[in-house]
Amino acid sequence: MPAAAADATELPAEAAAETDTRGLDEEIQSLKKDVVDLNKDLFVLEEELLFPASTQVAVFISMDVGEFFALDSVQLKIDNREVSNYLYTAREAEALLKGGVHRIYVGNLKVGKHELVALFSGKGPNQRDYRRGANLRFEKSVGAKYLELKITDRQRRAQPEFAIKDWE
Amino acid sequence: MRVTRALLVYCSLIAGAATAADSDTLAAQSVSKLSPIVVRDLHYGDVLFHFYQGEDFDALTRLNAYRQWHLTPNHDAEGELLLGGLYLSLGMHNEAGERFERLLTRNLPEDVRNRAWFYLGKIWYARGYLERAERAIRSIDGVLTPELEAERLHLLANTLMRQERFDEAIALLNGWRARDGQQDWLAYAEFNLGVALIRKGLVSEADPILTRVGQLESGRRELRSLRDRANLALGYAYIQAEQAEKARLPLERVRLNGPYSTKALLGVGWADAAAGDFEGALTPWLELRDRNLLDAAVQESYLAIPYAFRKLDANAQAAESYELALRSFDEESARIDQSISTIKREQLLDQFVAKDDQQQYGWFWSLRQVPDAPESRYLYALLASHDFQEGLKNYRDLGFLSSTLSRWDDSIGAFDDMIDTRERAYAERLPRADALLASGAVESLRERRDRISNELTRIEQSKDVAALGTQEQRDQWQRIARVEAALATLPADEENDELREKARLVKGALYWQLDEAFKARAWNQRRTLRDLDQALREADNRWIRVEKARTSAPTNTGEFAARLQALKERLDGLTVRLVDMQAKQNDLLERLAIRQLEQQKARLAAYSVQARFELAAIYDGIASSAPAREPETEPQPAPEPGPVPESDDPVSRGEGPVQDAPAPPSDPGSRS
Repeated sequence: MPAAAADATELPAEAAAETDTRGLDEEIQSLKKDVVDLNKDLFVLEEELLFPASTQVAVFISMDVGEFFALDSVQLKIDNREVSNYLYTAREAEALLKGGVHRIYVGNLKVGKHELVALFSGKGPNQRDYRRGANLRFEKSVGAKYLELKITDRQRRAQPEFAIKDWE
Repeated sequence: MRVTRALLVYCSLIAGAATAADSDTLAAQSVSKLSPIVVRDLHYGDVLFHFYQGEDFDALTRLNAYRQWHLTPNHDAEGELLLGGLYLSLGMHNEAGERFERLLTRNLPEDVRNRAWFYLGKIWYARGYLERAERAIRSIDGVLTPELEAERLHLLANTLMRQERFDEAIALLNGWRARDGQQDWLAYAEFNLGVALIRKGLVSEADPILTRVGQLESGRRELRSLRDRANLALGYAYIQAEQAEKARLPLERVRLNGPYSTKALLGVGWADAAAGDFEGALTPWLELRDRNLLDAAVQESYLAIPYAFRKLDANAQAAESYELALRSFDEESARIDQSISTIKREQLLDQFVAKDDQQQYGWFWSLRQVPDAPESRYLYALLASHDFQEGLKNYRDLGFLSSTLSRWDDSIGAFDDMIDTRERAYAERLPRADALLASGAVESLRERRDRISNELTRIEQSKDVAALGTQEQRDQWQRIARVEAALATLPADEENDELREKARLVKGALYWQLDEAFKARAWNQRRTLRDLDQALREADNRWIRVEKARTSAPTNTGEFAARLQALKERLDGLTVRLVDMQAKQNDLLERLAIRQLEQQKARLAAYSVQARFELAAIYDGIASSAPAREPETEPQPAPEPGPVPESDDPVSRGEGPVQDAPAPPSDPGSRS
């Protein structure tokens, strides 16, 4: 009973199994697609319901290089009211260093003048505890407002730099 | 704008799709060397933030939503590429393939185009569409990074070998030159080249190549495993080519404690037997018989040992060994029966899924810990197979998606309440808003403002300095006017003239004061008027917003309510389908598992028939007191994979110890 013959007798069963597997996989892929689409539609609805574009304000945080500063946490105040106090996990800090941008806060604000204050805590040069702040006065108009907290390295002074950018 | 250091990890994500365990590591190593890119849209960065944390489902949801809102206009092509990769990570090859193909119809930079072709090639390869895979890989134009180039070659070689186009694979692999630091890729390429040569019957040409791989020094599990496979492939190739004397050396290089050791021991025995050294053959085979009977090689040793005893005219030991084999096969068969009934009784997949971290899902997930159940001992090969792993991933993914939908189901209640609250708030505020809108308040304010402006213009033009005086000054001015009027009625005499002169002097002094302050006061009034204009404009805007809200709010909440209702219906429908599909997936894999167990039973039954036949022949010989005859048949090999080794094809071969090992020689009779 050579091996090839044994294989040949088993082919129909194997082929049937493969057909079953592939057929079901196709069905599952289609179902997954429906769930992914639904999930997106629910996400869209939630955002539009909770944060309409007319009042939405979103604050993002990004890090470039990060040689002189290791981020631990960020505290955000808008108009002197604390809106976020975010503690970063190692995985999140790593994702920022790779180039990810974290949407740290999304909320609603009335049209008009406002002030954002951000307090960054972490380890600075020589592993010292480091706390720095940045603030920005901005005008909220009818459209959504996006603000970016940027942490960059200032090579010449071997210090981190913190800034807030208003994305028009 | 910001520069990121290591974007395009989706290469690694997609790399995982088609190369599986062995070459994953290599693919991952290549990621860190990719060039930096610039994130130009905050929201695209947010997608990457989740993607880099392995939260592919979140990244996919956000990317789709942000694209719908047109928030990532500067990352269109990259976004499409990332989407393809994310779909792939969820095992949605069709969607991923369609996206990559669609991407390729557009005018794209060469590197994006090449990467898309590359991933497309991997997808089709993983799905077994070899011609499509080859076409995609060959469509890559221009220069890839050395790492991607090595992977491309590996993929193309495997595609050719799976189509049994060994000549082309040999030419391709012979022509490739590894760069510094690509020793791992080189080892895989040489292994495949060796296997392709064996497939063409060119064993002596394969020998130096496979010997090189078979003597690799490495601390890495994957490479040690590759080394064993190279030695096993070469050893069995020599046995098949009836050059058994050359088989021993490579087979003896296989680690005794590795997953390929049983096949190697079996092969060493066959090499000895082929040379007529049956005593020598007994050494590895007896060692093998002490091992786990689940292993096909071990099972075969139960028949090989009495075969050798008979060759040595030791019929008593042969009969004893056949009886041991029959008992062992029977016991094993009964245990398999038990496992089959357990599988039929219980939900098979939940045992596997429960063993692992519930948070994980997607392509990268694989079963690392096999449950400690009797049936799992029989299913190692099946568990390691591509189809089973895919099915298990699907099962997990479906569970993950179910839990996601269940969370949304909770939120939908909250959304419903929110919309209700808004509707109530709207109803409460409506009378006030209507009253305000009906009052025309802004219009009357504007009229008042216009009157003030006209008055100011008149004051400026007529230089009515007193009009802008302080209250006291205006009172004084009026008093002087009254005094002047009274004096005008009095007769002209010295006393009245003196009074008139005094009044004139007082008026002059007051006028001088008023005139001096007039310009500043007029300027202040104008400024106040401008502030008023600004306030009125804001009031206008608010008025317009209130008017709009008055008409749009009911539509808005109504639209939300309708959307929510439609989503709820979809959610309910999909929840049912998910449960149903999980059950289907479980049933299918159970059927595969049972089929596998039944095949094992059939193999044991075939061995038992063979053992009984041989035993009868021995007893027959003893009863007739005739000299012991030669064994009627040699032990028959188990139904195994093909007679020659498989190429390094991690996707289809899985990692099981049995599945991809070469089969024993198919026709041992010719060697006796």
